[in-house]
Amino acid sequence: MTTQSKTVEIPQTWEAFAWKWMRYSGVIIFILAWVHVLIQDILVGVYKIDIGYVAGRWNSAFSFWRVYDFLLLFFSFSHGMNGVRQVLYDFIHGSAGRRVLNWVLFITWLVITIWGTVAIFSFTPPAG
Amino acid sequence: MSFKTAREGYTKYQGLGNWAFVLHRITGIGVIIFLIIHVSDTALVYFKPEWYLHAVDLYRLPIFGLGEILLVLSIIYHGLNGLRVIYFDMINPEMWSIEINRKSVIWTWIITLILWLPAAVVMGSHILENMGG
Repeated sequence: MTTQSKTVEIPQTWEAFAWKWMRYSGVIIFILAWVHVLIQDILVGVYKIDIGYVAGRWNSAFSFWRVYDFLLLFFSFSHGMNGVRQVLYDFIHGSAGRRVLNWVLFITWLVITIWGTVAIFSFTPPAG
Repeated sequence: MSFKTAREGYTKYQGLGNWAFVLHRITGIGVIIFLIIHVSDTALVYFKPEWYLHAVDLYRLPIFGLGEILLVLSIIYHGLNGLRVIYFDMINPEMWSIEINRKSVIWTWIITLILWLPAAVVMGSHILENMGG
């Protein structure tokens, strides 16, 4: 049994963009996050992770894993913070509350994304 | 109250698809809370390496190891269920029916468990090997 489908015009609003963003970024994160979890949590494990291990991964200025980790940070964090926004929109209906929520989430997203990005690209292995 | 309305909306319809949705939100919120902590402390490897080492020590505690196993379950489920949603939303909406949706939810849970169980065994054995060490 299949359902009858019909095409509807979706207005090109910010919200429509956010809806698509969750899906496109979701596919990218599906690959980036699973590989990350498989390597770091399952195959290597936190008991073998230390500064030397990080130095091995982030070994040159734009090493593969620096770029990988930046993409993972960028896509998963924007996906996640927008997800929090969508969840909380179901509980906060007033426009004033939503405005406050949006600013709090936006600033949290921006600060943590910058914090992580600076670390990824600025880290240098400790001498000795 | 708006809060009450949203809650009633979740609880009135109780098909399997709704449970998939509720679990998607719970796992998503769990992962983003971890992610905020994880990005903040991992960045310390650059900003304050001694604090980074202290954070890693905390993650090595067995209680955090158990939390990590649940985190991996959340990530596997959230990813697979997300692909399920994307498939019906964007690739093949004509295929959607209540019955097919129900089956797809059950299969999502089956595949989640199949992928998670071996991961949980490996991670659990890492915890046991490193306990008291």
